[in-house]
Amino acid sequence: MPELKLVAARARTLAPIDLELARGEALAVLGPSGAGKSTLLKLVAGLLPCRGRVMIGGRDMAGVPPHRRQLGYLSQELHLFPHLSVRGNLALALRFSGLPRRDRAARIEETLALCAIAHRAGRFPATLSGGERQRAALARALVRQPRLLLFDEPFSALDPGTRQRLWRDVGALRERLGLAALIVTHDPAEAAALATRRIALEAGRLRPA
Amino acid sequence: MSLLAALRWAPLLLLCGVILGAIGALALELPRTALAEALGSPETLFALGFSLRTSLAALGLALLLSLPAAHLLARRRFPGRAAVETLLDLPMVTPPLVAGIGLLFLLRRDGLPGSLLAQAGIELLFSPAGVVLAQTYIAASVLVRAARAAFGAVDPGYAETAATLGLPPVWVFLLVEVPMAGRALLAAAILGWSRALGEFGATLMLAGATRMQTETLPMAVYLNIASGRTDIAIACALLLLGTAFALLLALRLATAEAGACRS
Repeated sequence: MPELKLVAARARTLAPIDLELARGEALAVLGPSGAGKSTLLKLVAGLLPCRGRVMIGGRDMAGVPPHRRQLGYLSQELHLFPHLSVRGNLALALRFSGLPRRDRAARIEETLALCAIAHRAGRFPATLSGGERQRAALARALVRQPRLLLFDEPFSALDPGTRQRLWRDVGALRERLGLAALIVTHDPAEAAALATRRIALEAGRLRPA
Repeated sequence: MSLLAALRWAPLLLLCGVILGAIGALALELPRTALAEALGSPETLFALGFSLRTSLAALGLALLLSLPAAHLLARRRFPGRAAVETLLDLPMVTPPLVAGIGLLFLLRRDGLPGSLLAQAGIELLFSPAGVVLAQTYIAASVLVRAARAAFGAVDPGYAETAATLGLPPVWVFLLVEVPMAGRALLAAAILGWSRALGEFGATLMLAGATRMQTETLPMAVYLNIASGRTDIAIACALLLLGTAFALLLALRLATAEAGACRS
């Protein structure tokens, strides 16, 4: 059973899209600005009204709101909540998980350590470096143990050294957790570093990369 | 100081002088003992307590209505939105007296809303509830406009991200968007509160001017000037000015800190 399946899924400028993503697979969707990459991710996340079918873990997502889709979403701007510390950002993501308070605290510490950001847990996003912000946002996306990760060029604003270090760390972490990921990017190097398969999106249509 | 520099400062000094002159004239009108006595009189204390209670109740009601309405206006595009926004701005430019007359006619007992409220045992006109209604009407008009701008300044990407993190929409609003717009909302609330506290025209029409019943601070000034009790009128005016000054100072500090945070 594929982790993600799109059947004639379409929204806004996207032509109907068919796509399958297996468990543990990382698919990069390459395309220039305005090709519809972010729209594709928002469609999967349930942030845009969608026609056609979106299935996550074999379940049809029709009528399922974003907060019930069990996915981790990293946007280009990261959107770490500025009024909360790094730990607070993770705690908010677990607040409605149904986990008992003690388990939530343990899960947060475990995820912070996994993403190598535990030493900045008490800091607020504005005081972090670019790379630390990426790690904090990744930890927040992973803390709910999602089925699927959605990456919308989250590493594009970093300097080349930090970016390459994060590609390596994130790729290793994703493989270790066996998570499926849909990565949209305009950078072929990023696609090569993070993905196991690549396709191209141009003017709202998918084609082999 | 050169003549040009003096001319540059003159308008500012004149404006401050007129305001300080008016306040000073009020304060110096009565001997200090008479002023102290008037400040401690039961009527002055009633007006102060009643004004604070009703204006805080009005602020609560106005926040309950204005925040969700402002959020909707900031986040959703719908046909006629510009007309709705203009309609919501109308109470800000309408004299409160006119708003009060309109609400009085709307809620009178021989009208549909008034008769329905009367059947439910709710008496709004010429009662403390009428004071709260008038103050809510005025405070909400200020709040909805300021809160709309505050929510509009928050990147909607934060709400989208929060939704993907498992937060139901109402919690996205309460735990992400309200705190992120927090300082601007606080400033809006202080402004709304100060408008409610100083409200007079609509209150006069809706709640009437009944001593020790619907007597807010502005109403106490009006009643006592009209009946020749200048000492109580001055005491209430000074209390109103003092409270307004404290609120406006708090507003200035809140917005200054918001600016510092953004930079």
